[in-house]
Amino acid sequence: MALQERTRDTAPIAVPDTTAEWRGGSIRAQLWVLTGRQIRSMYGDTRLALFSLLQPLIMLLLLSEIFGSMANRDDFPHGVRYIDYLVPALLVTTGIGSAQGAGVGLVKDMDNGIVARFRVLPTRLPLVLVARSLADLLRVFTELLVLLACGTVFFGFRPSGGVLGTAAALLLTVFVIWSLIWCFIALAAWLRSVEVMSSIAVLVMFPLMFASSAFVPLKGLPEWLQVVAKVNPVTYAVDGSRRLALGWDLGLGVVGALGTSAVLLALAGFVAAKCFQRAPNA
Amino acid sequence: MIEAAGVCKSFGDVHALNGVDIEVARGKVLGLLGHNGAGKTTLVNILSTVSPPTAGTVRVAGYDVTTQGAAVRARIGVTGQFASVDEYLSGYGNLVLIARLLGAGRRQAAARATELLELFRLTEAAKQPSRTYSGGMRRRLDLAASLVGRPDVLFLDEPTTGLDPTTRIALWETVEGLVADGTTVLLTTQYLDEADRLADWITVLSKGRVIASGTSGRLKAELGSRAVHAALTPDSDLSAATGALAAAGFQPRPDPERHALSTPVDTSADIAAVVRALDTVGAELVELTVKEPSLDDVYLALTQSPTALAGAA
Repeated sequence: MALQERTRDTAPIAVPDTTAEWRGGSIRAQLWVLTGRQIRSMYGDTRLALFSLLQPLIMLLLLSEIFGSMANRDDFPHGVRYIDYLVPALLVTTGIGSAQGAGVGLVKDMDNGIVARFRVLPTRLPLVLVARSLADLLRVFTELLVLLACGTVFFGFRPSGGVLGTAAALLLTVFVIWSLIWCFIALAAWLRSVEVMSSIAVLVMFPLMFASSAFVPLKGLPEWLQVVAKVNPVTYAVDGSRRLALGWDLGLGVVGALGTSAVLLALAGFVAAKCFQRAPNA
Repeated sequence: MIEAAGVCKSFGDVHALNGVDIEVARGKVLGLLGHNGAGKTTLVNILSTVSPPTAGTVRVAGYDVTTQGAAVRARIGVTGQFASVDEYLSGYGNLVLIARLLGAGRRQAAARATELLELFRLTEAAKQPSRTYSGGMRRRLDLAASLVGRPDVLFLDEPTTGLDPTTRIALWETVEGLVADGTTVLLTTQYLDEADRLADWITVLSKGRVIASGTSGRLKAELGSRAVHAALTPDSDLSAATGALAAAGFQPRPDPERHALSTPVDTSADIAAVVRALDTVGAELVELTVKEPSLDDVYLALTQSPTALAGAA
């Protein structure tokens, strides 16, 4: 082709390296910038931020009223007030509710033109997901702090594990929720549809929350639900969080929660990165 | 700066690209013409490392797109049909974000963002969220975003689709300025005037193949046609005029509705011959125009019968 002849005349030309210092930021710098962007866009809508903080309060009020009489039953642990039993579990279930927001958020983000831009920049794409997960984690953490504060101030939450136990329960919950956030991120990267994401989230969330020991002791559930609850990772998470907050001996709850979450985190992280790498229609 | 050889891309059974070869030298502009679905965007996606080619080798800015993607991405800018910016961030915020991802420090990023906003006349709207921008402003921001890293190679995928004429011309002038500074550009477009104005070399893509390439002038000379258009007075005999031209060796196309006819011509002597032939049958002219060959002719000629003209490349 004539074009080839022509270019051979002019090539090769040494390309002056005018922006040698701008060939892609370090991992740390990119993660910092991406996470900052994610947090700013999350709190860009203050109404959303406000309502997401109100949600755990409503749950606290409703559940303590509805299930409050549980504490009088024989199979309920003796000497434990229902509010002290409820709050550690509510940490986990509130976290799950917020974790699914990460999935919907990612799908919406993928519709935002900036993700297409990230694909043609020297951005490490998995960092976009890590930033997303960290920003969501910060959001969940804030909600949980509000929940704990309100529980303490308005509902008389005084677990026997004290401040240290409660802090440990909070940390455990945050780790479990991080792994769940990654599950929803993986689903979002794979499905790429807000509608499908939302319906799956509801489908997954409610059985996870209610077929568990979150609100009532396992023994209080019908037998078939007990079986479901025993294989439900939320049961372990709730059990771990509760044991820490109430200062009970740790048993398998904490280890089980940490172990299942770590496995889930690794798997979901891998799937999410793989799915996200693939450009739409490519 | 862009070398692609034997590029194929298949989506299952659909072959979007079938062995495309292109080369663009530094500081040159390649215009890629083609209908929707010809494979233009697919090719841009491959060249910009967004999607891997099914077969073929591609080097951009000296690096292989499949194995050295990050090095390629550090040296290219891409502006597509849809603005690839964060709608929730301001224009300034977008540019700073991109500069920081490229590795600029806080202060450098701010300086570059300010400089680009000024260049693209966005300073006034700099702090407003980009979702409040008009279509033209968004497109300018998008172009600014693709220039943050001072790319060696710029991909413009239908950059002026849906823009008003003033904005189009302003964008063309910007691109011309970049090219003058040594940027290599690959431009895809459906607008032939755009390719005509900006491109040093034009490649026509149809159904995933290159069906013609050459300078705009050469394509027009080889594939375009010059035509004479004659409108007659109402009392002139159109069929007699058509007959006279046919007898003189032309291929006239009568247009009874407008009481006019047109015929392809090659030389200026042909134009005189047309006028003489019309004169012999006493046809009075209302208007006589000569239409110079345009890329539209080339494009139509090629895309209507791509296989017949494949040799033109």
